Amino acid sequence: MVNATMQTENVDTTAIRQHELQTVRRSFIRGIAEPLGLIAALVALIIVFSLLNPRFATLENLRNVLDQASVPLIVGVGATLVILLGSIDLSVEGVMGASGMAWILMSANSRGGADLGVWAWIGAIAIGMALGFASGALFTRLKVPSFIVTLGMWYVGLGIATVMYGSGIVPMLTDEAVGGWASSATLGLPNSFWLAAVVVVLGVLTLRYTRLGRVTYAIGDNETIAKGNGVPVARVKTVVFVIAASLSGLAGIIATMKLGAGSATVGSGVLFVVIPAVVIGGTSLGGGKGGVLRTVLGVLLLTVLTNGLILAGVSPSWQSGVSGAILVAAIIVAAWSQRDRLRVAK
Amino acid sequence: MNTTTPPVLKLEGIRISFGPIAAVKGVSLQIERGEIVGLIGENGAGKSTLLKILTGIYQPDSGTIEVNGTPVRLRGPRDAIAAGVGVVHQEQSLFSNLSVAENIEMNTPPGAGGVSRLGLYRWRRLNRDAAATLEKIGSKLDPRTRVGDLSFVDRQMVEIARAIHMDPSRNTTPLVILDEPTSLLERKETAILEREMRKLRDVGAVIFVSHRLDEVLRVCDRVVVMRHGELIADRRTEEVTEDDLFHLMVGREMHSPDRRHRPIAADSRPAVEVSGLTRKGKFRDVSFAVHPGRCTVIVGTSGSGREALSRALFGAETFDSGSLTFGGRPAAGWTIAKATNAGVGYVPAERKVEGMVGGLPAAQNLTLTHPGPAAAGPVILPAKRDQVARTWFDALDVRPNDISLELERFSGGNQQKVVLAKWLNSPDLRVLVLDHPLRGLDPGAAETVNEQIRRARDEGTAVVLLADTLEEALEMGDEVVVMRDGVVTGHFDVATDDPSTLDLLERML
Amino acid sequence: MNTVTPPKERAAAPETAPASRRSLLKRPRQLWAVTGPLVIFVVMLAIVAGLTPTFLGSNGLTFIAAAAAPILLLALGQALVLNIGSIDLSNAAIAVLGAILLAFLLAPLAAAAPLLVLLIVTLFGAVNGLLVAYAQVPSFALTLGTLGIFQAAALVLSGSTTVYVSANGEAISALYQSGILGIPMTFWIGVVLAIVLWAGLRFTRLGLAMTAIGNNESGAIFSAVRNRRVKVVVFALSGFTAGLASIAIIAQSGSASATGAGGDLLLPAITAAILGGTSISGGVANPINVIFGALTVALVPIATTAIGVDAQAQNLVYGLVIIVVVALTMARTRGAVVK
Repeated sequence: MVNATMQTENVDTTAIRQHELQTVRRSFIRGIAEPLGLIAALVALIIVFSLLNPRFATLENLRNVLDQASVPLIVGVGATLVILLGSIDLSVEGVMGASGMAWILMSANSRGGADLGVWAWIGAIAIGMALGFASGALFTRLKVPSFIVTLGMWYVGLGIATVMYGSGIVPMLTDEAVGGWASSATLGLPNSFWLAAVVVVLGVLTLRYTRLGRVTYAIGDNETIAKGNGVPVARVKTVVFVIAASLSGLAGIIATMKLGAGSATVGSGVLFVVIPAVVIGGTSLGGGKGGVLRTVLGVLLLTVLTNGLILAGVSPSWQSGVSGAILVAAIIVAAWSQRDRLRVAK
Repeated sequence: MNTTTPPVLKLEGIRISFGPIAAVKGVSLQIERGEIVGLIGENGAGKSTLLKILTGIYQPDSGTIEVNGTPVRLRGPRDAIAAGVGVVHQEQSLFSNLSVAENIEMNTPPGAGGVSRLGLYRWRRLNRDAAATLEKIGSKLDPRTRVGDLSFVDRQMVEIARAIHMDPSRNTTPLVILDEPTSLLERKETAILEREMRKLRDVGAVIFVSHRLDEVLRVCDRVVVMRHGELIADRRTEEVTEDDLFHLMVGREMHSPDRRHRPIAADSRPAVEVSGLTRKGKFRDVSFAVHPGRCTVIVGTSGSGREALSRALFGAETFDSGSLTFGGRPAAGWTIAKATNAGVGYVPAERKVEGMVGGLPAAQNLTLTHPGPAAAGPVILPAKRDQVARTWFDALDVRPNDISLELERFSGGNQQKVVLAKWLNSPDLRVLVLDHPLRGLDPGAAETVNEQIRRARDEGTAVVLLADTLEEALEMGDEVVVMRDGVVTGHFDVATDDPSTLDLLERML
Repeated sequence: MNTVTPPKERAAAPETAPASRRSLLKRPRQLWAVTGPLVIFVVMLAIVAGLTPTFLGSNGLTFIAAAAAPILLLALGQALVLNIGSIDLSNAAIAVLGAILLAFLLAPLAAAAPLLVLLIVTLFGAVNGLLVAYAQVPSFALTLGTLGIFQAAALVLSGSTTVYVSANGEAISALYQSGILGIPMTFWIGVVLAIVLWAGLRFTRLGLAMTAIGNNESGAIFSAVRNRRVKVVVFALSGFTAGLASIAIIAQSGSASATGAGGDLLLPAITAAILGGTSISGGVANPINVIFGALTVALVPIATTAIGVDAQAQNLVYGLVIIVVVALTMARTRGAVVK
């Protein structure tokens, strides 16, 4: 076909190729540079606290920090997935309470009852899954905003834990081996940390290598386009909520194990570490941006901060204030560049 | 060209109506493999409706669609994708946080072509497949790049690659629809895109929709022209000139039906004066003035920058340089609040989102901005408010005649009457900016709205109107400003210059 | 010639429909919106009275109203915030902090103490509002953060112990001990406030602006509503009503602690607002109905005990009520993106 189209055929393309190479390189550098700030902050904190208190930089305290970080790490993987969707899961403390209570009542405890061993774990996590499924289904089918569904589910979880607790004596773990499992060390590091590490690795792999993970990013970026591309948005969201609540359930078991006794409020304060950790890790509350490894950095930063402050003699009363202030600062910094007077934020 | 292969697309007697209005009236069209066909027409000629039929968003009332020789029914975007019809929209629909390869493959069913195994992605396979598709259109983009890091023209390439990318096991020829892909591009970027587009001939067939006629003539083999919902011309590009196309698009050339001469009084000061106004990437160096009692219509295609300009007048968008003066007073730090206080009103194109608060009753909407007698200071007087609302309802014949009904429950035309009344209720409306006020209105409501705009003008309001059509521009305007690619390309006084629709179109495209 | 756009107006009323027929269709919904919260309260009360026959005879209503007072005060502020489409998760924490401040300040400042506390907590609320409006961050995340800050402030200020009012407590506790019709003054304060807010929402331009923002913020902005200023006012009002709740807490118990009364009122107050017909997505609020919402919520622990469940399990009820009521009353738009 001949026509008058030849005049643009000889446009020099070298400049374009160079430009393409540059963009690739730039995005690679940025992928590394963003977490660098966090790592630097973490290192700086470690140095400061080591100078303030010689007990900070000890192997024993490292174990301590990693043990403390394990529960928020496990919960944080699920929270990251949910926030990547652009949603939020406020129910973690309630789910932890329900699963933790179910687990201790099904394990060897001072109230007697059956010791179901592994089945206690499965049963407890199943309760978490059920609560997550309820959240996800209500959110996607009835289109109730996730923050309100999960706020309600938080208290439903607490209520279930309280009802299971009933009015008997406090259930205490009677099997020393079970009770001490989480905090006892394997290869020098606490078991709870190894478990959290496995969860983190699975989380990273899910986000990187599965359709579910990639589609989670796609939905968070633009749900409307995702629907237009035939992505089963409702199903993906429900699955993500189930995963998140199952992880909260697992974290509830670990927390109960460490406490050695059943308590509906075993998860108390976890939400306050996890949400700020996810946000300062750089996962955007709007969805689509971020990842599990960034949350790991966020959790470590907050745990080190709390641990260091306590060792430096600061009252634990400050803890929720520090987390709260960090959350406020992080969301404002994240939102600052997108301010526009016509933008609607609820 | 191989004559044994069936045409990539064959339309027979496609027809669709919305209510009493026929939008597409029996269009038949055939496109062969390796062809690039330009589709042009004025705003409202039925182009976008036809495209929506091809992409499964609308179902035609009658007529048949054949893709690669097989009759198809497109019940949704998924069907269109499955049949091999891909669209590249003006607004890009890519996931900016995912890689080029993922975006290209997002439409293909999971597992197709061995991209995932046991539910796990095989990134190397994915990247290789995407690179192969990019190669077909001559792009050497690294498939691993995050789309958000690409320039606009590169993203456009990814869109095109996605449109032609399909399950390799299926043997169909893709049809790519490019819906004004260049309207937001700089001229030199356009050159790159044009070159890549021609490569699509080797892969499939292309429908190219553009307002830039020079481009259409350069890139396309054939050009079809739509007017009033009909396909009125089908020419080979070497047989036509830009001038021919203008005439085909406009049909009978039209002048203003009514050349009232409304002279500007010698002592009249402009109600609004725009001078050298610039907003980067939207419009630049725009100057014009509107005197009280006159109407200036701004015409231009999408991407002409006229929407952003109209929002800047209302303080809804900022500008970088130049000046904006209202009644001789410069608009400094212009915001919606300041604009409203200075007597500026604005009827936005997005009525449901920006024009109204749908969940509030009509009476509340009407008195939300300028309550007039409906409020004494901060206190609302319900009886007076209802009286004000009833007066407007009667004056504009709003139906149903129930001022306490939520505005979202009215029809579009009646909603627009209330939106307009919200501004007309101002005791001192100096400037009224209207962005496509007749969009989606039935003829009766449209006439009422136009009547009210004229009445406001006659009472001394300066009107700035973004019209839907050129006929509307000549009917309503005392002056017409033509914009293209963010700059003013023509400025006519309707009474003295007597421009025709063709004059306007030539400066728009 | 116009651009042809398909008629996609949803549920547009037929233009020729006679007005009477349409308002008949509208009526059952409106009737329920107006009387629903009262009906729910009465039904609930009947159930409790049926299960515990002595309840109504033994000052039961006085007890309910006293328990409902702080919930009502918090719920009124929350209803205003929900009405603009936001949420304030920090208001219960503000109430606790205010109560601790008040317990400290009553002895040295006497009558000036409540006023000073009200001023301080209103400022706290205004800061929430400033950050939500000008930094444009989602309110649930922001107020979750400030919730932590207020909690820590309460703990640090009180030294993690209970702070008792050492002097000048009589006037405040009189608010609880005295009453009209056997109902304590703390509750009546809530009733008066509810009426004032109801009138404010209906009959002032500010109130109309709030409802407009909650309905469609973009539409409100393009109607020249000063959306950011209004948001600051609403969050400040939420702080103010939390301050009134602080006074109610001190009036009732004469002491305050960071972990004591008030801190667990966040969810009951949200529940009361929602049971009072407030829409979680904004644009609908009736402060008078929030009164019945708060009364119903105050009945929950009594009802759960009456049916033989530990009163502690009331959390379960609050959680379920929130989810169920929101799910039932959400206006669901097809294809809308919900996050």
